[in-house]
Amino acid sequence: MQVVVKNLNYTYSKNSKSVAVKALKGINLTIEEGEFFGIIGETGSGKSTFIQHLNGLIKTTKEDCECLKIGEFDLTEKKCNYKKLRSKVGMVFQYPEYQLFAETVEADVMFGLKNCKPEMTEEEKSSAVKKALELVGLNYYEIKDKSPFELSGGQKRRVAIAGVLVLEPEVLILDEPAAGLDPKGKRELLKLLKEIHGKTVKTTVIVSHDMNLIMEECDKVALFHKGNVAKVDAPENIFKDKELVSLCGLKFPLTASLYHALKEKGVSLKTNLKVENFIKAVTEYYKGEQR
Amino acid sequence: MQFGIISSMAQILLENVSFSYDKNHNALNNVSLSIEKGEYVAILGHNGSGKSTLAKLLNGLITANSGNMEICGLSPFEKKNLFEIRKKVGVIFQNPDNQLVASIVEDDVAFGPENLGVKRDEIAKRIDFALSSVNMLDFKKSSPTRLSGGQKQRIAIAGVLALQPQVLVLDESTSMLDPRGREEVLSVVKKLNESGVTVIAITHYMDEAVEADKIYVLSGGEVVCSGTPNQVFAEKKALEIAGLELPLSQKIANQLKQNGIPMEQDVLTENSLLEGLCKLL
Amino acid sequence: MKDVAFGQYFPSNSVIHKMNPAIKLLLAIAFIVAVFLVRAFHFLGFGVCFAFLISVTIIAKIPFSKMLKSIKAILFFIIFSAVIQIFFNKKGTPLWENGFITDVALLNAGYIIVRITLVVLGASLLTFTTSPVELADGIEVLLTPLKLVKFPVHEFALIMSIALRFIPTLLDETDRIIKAQKARGADFESGNVFKRIKALVPVLIPLLISSFRRADELADAMDARCYAGSKNRTRYKKLEVAFKDVFAIIVMAGLITAVVFLNKFNLIPYLAAVV
Repeated sequence: MQVVVKNLNYTYSKNSKSVAVKALKGINLTIEEGEFFGIIGETGSGKSTFIQHLNGLIKTTKEDCECLKIGEFDLTEKKCNYKKLRSKVGMVFQYPEYQLFAETVEADVMFGLKNCKPEMTEEEKSSAVKKALELVGLNYYEIKDKSPFELSGGQKRRVAIAGVLVLEPEVLILDEPAAGLDPKGKRELLKLLKEIHGKTVKTTVIVSHDMNLIMEECDKVALFHKGNVAKVDAPENIFKDKELVSLCGLKFPLTASLYHALKEKGVSLKTNLKVENFIKAVTEYYKGEQR
Repeated sequence: MQFGIISSMAQILLENVSFSYDKNHNALNNVSLSIEKGEYVAILGHNGSGKSTLAKLLNGLITANSGNMEICGLSPFEKKNLFEIRKKVGVIFQNPDNQLVASIVEDDVAFGPENLGVKRDEIAKRIDFALSSVNMLDFKKSSPTRLSGGQKQRIAIAGVLALQPQVLVLDESTSMLDPRGREEVLSVVKKLNESGVTVIAITHYMDEAVEADKIYVLSGGEVVCSGTPNQVFAEKKALEIAGLELPLSQKIANQLKQNGIPMEQDVLTENSLLEGLCKLL
Repeated sequence: MKDVAFGQYFPSNSVIHKMNPAIKLLLAIAFIVAVFLVRAFHFLGFGVCFAFLISVTIIAKIPFSKMLKSIKAILFFIIFSAVIQIFFNKKGTPLWENGFITDVALLNAGYIIVRITLVVLGASLLTFTTSPVELADGIEVLLTPLKLVKFPVHEFALIMSIALRFIPTLLDETDRIIKAQKARGADFESGNVFKRIKALVPVLIPLLISSFRRADELADAMDARCYAGSKNRTRYKKLEVAFKDVFAIIVMAGLITAVVFLNKFNLIPYLAAVV
């Protein structure tokens, strides 16, 4: 499913003029199917307001938006089927483990199915839960009858993500999925997301402040600034634009800040800024100098 | 002092300290550490390594089951010392929302001194001092709900500073903040450290540990290695066991060295990596 | 969600806003007493009360539309009380031959409407001009004498202030959890009452759990900052009694005197005798 957004506007507390805040000011963005898409921007730049539009948690109208289409769903239409949409577009919020509520892991993961696919039989539901839990690297038989509250932090997060994956969304949106995890937990979660991407999930959208992560993992990045999209491009092109990224109040991934600093010293490296490629470029440059 | 074996230099001293929440499992096991006045010490460990338990131990929120401890010359095993220890060792916790008591910034900062029975004009002075130390004086009359995470966390620091502590313990205090908030908090902490406050930063961000005077790595409730950042980052095995990773700058430097580029031995921070590269290229 | 005005506080820098909240609270109570002192059908007293309310509203810079809105909220209650009076009060003479509505009933209904309106407007004026935090401080001061009977005034005040402090945080959190469950297809908007209440379970349980977690962490943070109950504790905030407060007390005393005085002037002697 392709995500097409044209001229999307949103104002908080629209009805009282004194406190109204324009959060989105004409967003234009297209996310192609199959992309591992990153969204970056300062806190308050409109990122989270934007992603909430993508599965109808914030509803828009024709008045505020020229076009907001995800696959066959037209979200500017009043009669848009949000239940169906939400099973196609999954949303994992920051610290998703805080949404767990049921007595058992199985019941919690099943919650989405009960809401969106009530026509499924119990067996079908159970097997979907099993599949989702396995996708996030958990053993269904070991964990299904446990209370979600007795799990470790990392496990809770995986269960919460399984609760979204169980609907087999084609587009998966994650807001700061690795927040609060230690380095190992973060590495494992990212590996997992990469694995899931391309299985049932076709498009992954990640919102993150971790520039190294965005640089390394994403195919394409949208840079948000004060309710606008400042630039959409491959991560290397975004982070090579030194003025723009600084203007938007963001930091650089390590490779990019080294790249810029070296450039100032007259050393111009040919690299796409991914760590491995960067090391290769430095090595080649050094060996070239030696000769 | 129970055994009389404590060195006079250390401000915080733990010897073979163990603590358990339940009988079957020790959250901390034979932990020994010694921290001197004015040091910046990082305690690294994965989630569940026992590092938050350690934070609570350091200001007497919990009491060790065994071992020997001395904090600012006081034994936390004696109940009458607890108040004094909490006065001297301030803790900043992880969630900025869950440690502010009052709905107005100045009232929140006043909470600590009020508890100590400090007089009103003295409290007013301490509020101004504490808020200006964290660059939040302009927000004295604001409501914390409207502030950013980094600002809230700086208010929490001010609330602790108003107790005039000698030691500041940061229990993953930056893990819920965005990069800007992290930077604000870290620069305030650094400034405080320079003015003589001992800082114990409990974290799993490796780059926060890079500039520490000393690092302790915790895993499974035990100290698996300790030393200067250079010494600790050389112990790759121990770090791996502890579920930690080298800072990215160190990883890049190591890789370059492997590729035959003569990088200097201790490359840790982004800046030192850059310096090294500039010299070579 | 954070921007939802909580309580009715209407910020402004008027002299009324700056008054000592404890005294404001006392005066609000005094005003309600004054309204109740007005005897049936001695409408002159109400006139004075209205004049007082309108002047305070102007001084406090509260828009009249805001005041009207606070009446709107209890409009149903006012109409209901009035209707009951009109239909069930049989005193006095019917307005027309064999009619079931009496003159006394009608006047009584008017009397009740005015009374309730005055009380509501007076209370709203207090909450418009006093933030919840100040109100809590005011209540604490007024409760202080209860310390003599070992009522834990300090603890009570602390609980109030922490509750106020966490309301916006919890509202925020509720909003977040609702959205997270909606994203999993939860439906809070359709179905009968029973269904809707059931739909709230996935919101209430996480909210409850997180409240306990917060309480736990807050307790640790308070302990770490040397909290040990009210013993030997000082208080930073001081509620001072300024000239404006004294002046307000004098005005209120004047109002009550006026009401009592005007009670002597019976506009409708015949009806008052019936009641």
